[in-house]
Amino acid sequence: MHLLSTLLRPRRLAEAHCDGPCGIYDPASARIAAEAVLSMAQKIVALGDADDAATNNTRSRFTAIKEEQAEQAKRELNILWTDYFNPERTANHPDLWQTFWNAAKLCSRNKTELSVEAGEELLATIEEIHNVFWATKGRDDVPFYLAV
Amino acid sequence: MLRLAGRFTRYEIAGESMLPTLRPGDWVIVDGRAWAHHEPREGEIVLARDPRQPERALVKRIRAREPAGDLWLLGDNARRSTDSRTLGAFPPEALLGRVRWRYWPPPGAAFPTLDERETAAEAP
Repeated sequence: MHLLSTLLRPRRLAEAHCDGPCGIYDPASARIAAEAVLSMAQKIVALGDADDAATNNTRSRFTAIKEEQAEQAKRELNILWTDYFNPERTANHPDLWQTFWNAAKLCSRNKTELSVEAGEELLATIEEIHNVFWATKGRDDVPFYLAV
Repeated sequence: MLRLAGRFTRYEIAGESMLPTLRPGDWVIVDGRAWAHHEPREGEIVLARDPRQPERALVKRIRAREPAGDLWLLGDNARRSTDSRTLGAFPPEALLGRVRWRYWPPPGAAFPTLDERETAAEAP
């Protein structure tokens, strides 16, 4: 029986494939993470140079959140780029790879540096992606809005 | 016999987009010359090259033929399928063959019903 199954076993895969169970993509999830990054950067800057135990504790917490959300933004962007976008959808946007590449680099920069400016840049880059994303769906009724 | 060996290829089904017709783990035989004497037809289960990843073979069903000959391929399990709805119509050249037979599990073999499968999948 073992020999038989070895002989019969196919060597190729036919994929009854599904990218995700839902097919729901929205740059909003990256935008929310990026907003959290920016907000944390602003809050850390607002703490100033105070060096008491309570402030140090708060600064550590804010930094941890900033880094975690920067990581999350990168992940969300990667999902959009690798799962949603394909050659067909990028045909009219040949520079989109660069936008995503910049966005990913900005996520890393936001993680390692404390820079309100880097946070704003990331958000602006995600807005560009938002515009292209909805254009590929033929939608012009989706505004880019911010939670704050 | 050699000719036949080149014509038919065994494939294992992976994924759930063709449920309930094809289950993950089913073994099928694909006919690489299915359309020597007729055009691809609506209703046929086919193997098609993934337009995003040409080395990958997708199994879907032909649901419509466009006037230009391109084919609209959908999974039988629409909720769990990436198909022409996101990938667009497939050109006929993308077809690798037609799924002709399932040879394992053998007909009449005991296997869990779909309901049982779903329950099993959800159990912790």
